[in-house]
Amino acid sequence: MTMLRATIGAEWIKLWTTRTVWWALTAALLLMAAGAGQYALYARNGDIDATSAAEVAALGLSFAQLAFVALAATVMTGEYSAGTIRATFTWTPSRPRLLLAKSVVVAAVTLVAGTVVGFVGTLVAAAILDDGSLGATAPKMGLYLALLGVFAVGLGAALRGPVVTLVVLLMLIVVVPPLLQIPDVGALNAVADAMPGVAGERFLTGNSYAGLLIVTAWAVAAFVIGARELNRRDA
Amino acid sequence: MLITLEQLTKRFGATVAVDGLDLRVRPGRVTGFLGPNGAGKSTTLRMILGLDRPTSGRALLDGRPYFSYAWPLRTIGAVLEAKAAHPGRTGRNHLLAMARSNAIPAARVDEVLQLTGLTEAARKRTGAYSLGMGQRLGIAGALLGDPEVLILDEPVNGLDPDGVRWIRGLLRDLAAEGRTVLVSSHLLSEMQMTADHLIVIGNGRLLADAPLEEILAGHASLEDAYYTLTEGSALR
Repeated sequence: MTMLRATIGAEWIKLWTTRTVWWALTAALLLMAAGAGQYALYARNGDIDATSAAEVAALGLSFAQLAFVALAATVMTGEYSAGTIRATFTWTPSRPRLLLAKSVVVAAVTLVAGTVVGFVGTLVAAAILDDGSLGATAPKMGLYLALLGVFAVGLGAALRGPVVTLVVLLMLIVVVPPLLQIPDVGALNAVADAMPGVAGERFLTGNSYAGLLIVTAWAVAAFVIGARELNRRDA
Repeated sequence: MLITLEQLTKRFGATVAVDGLDLRVRPGRVTGFLGPNGAGKSTTLRMILGLDRPTSGRALLDGRPYFSYAWPLRTIGAVLEAKAAHPGRTGRNHLLAMARSNAIPAARVDEVLQLTGLTEAARKRTGAYSLGMGQRLGIAGALLGDPEVLILDEPVNGLDPDGVRWIRGLLRDLAAEGRTVLVSSHLLSEMQMTADHLIVIGNGRLLADAPLEEILAGHASLEDAYYTLTEGSALR
């Protein structure tokens, strides 16, 4: 436990001592404000059937989540692109412990920052929609982003390359689901529903705990595969 | 502390990088680790540090593999690459994270910065460091945990003459304190001035493991002795 705490402490320092984290969090905030504002305008004009500010903010998250996911993936893939992974493993020879520490740090930061960003999105939407009911969606966004963050860290450990990791994440979260949904075939829709982004949206807008469970399953699976790959391959 | 290699072997596909190395690296002296490019020096050092998994055999530090040490930096210090730090992080923050990972007091960071002459550069991003400053930062990290064992892969690369002399003195002092110092290098004349004992490998096999004087005997210089030893193993 003391060893895990030390590893988490080191990863915490590492996260906050490069500029990446500030760029990512600023981008997330701007994307959220812009996304929520845009969807709120659509909603006010009756172009989409979202009614509450919280619901609009959840839609706005579809942009902002990419900044969080990029940050989370970089925490792992940056070690490979900067060539620091070997040094890091000499500090912390237990690779699963390192992955766990990175996941904890990423989850903590995305949970808090995601909640703040979600709240800002809700406020923007509420101002445009003139909807006073802020709802409790912001902490749920934080929770969803924390799980998505763990997913991205684990995937980064399994794939190592920053570009390939980001491409796979974009495919799974953004690109593939609409392609599956367009034909409107039951089986394809079911596959789309099991994708992390779609499941997350159902959790955020429909309060679906099945959606939350699916996102959790993606996070756990990526963590397990990432830990196994770190152990299996030479640094 | 004793470093022991037992039939240490590493294959990458059909290539044998390290081929049944059996040796001991003893404390209290500087052991030079020599061999042509591709001889398997770096692979051997990586296996000692648990970064590469041996195909067969073992590398042990006082009878235990690297990964079994709870706080490895307090026992083994290593300089593997010139730049082990993220270019966007300052040298001091790099060392602070490193210290935290092994529960080493933060005050020790300023000590090693001073020891390696990096105090003034400590708050600069390591991306702006010269090769020599990068090496000094690597050595600062290796010394952070006041370790009994030091493993250095090409530590004088990129250092100016003052830096080379500084490292030589540092390694000799550390060995004189009873620590185990294993250092690989291409610079034979430098090795001749630094090492007490030499291990020479070629094609992953042990070519020599003997005191410096013994290897030098009958040769004009270490360079002469080295070429006699490694003849035929430089090119495969």
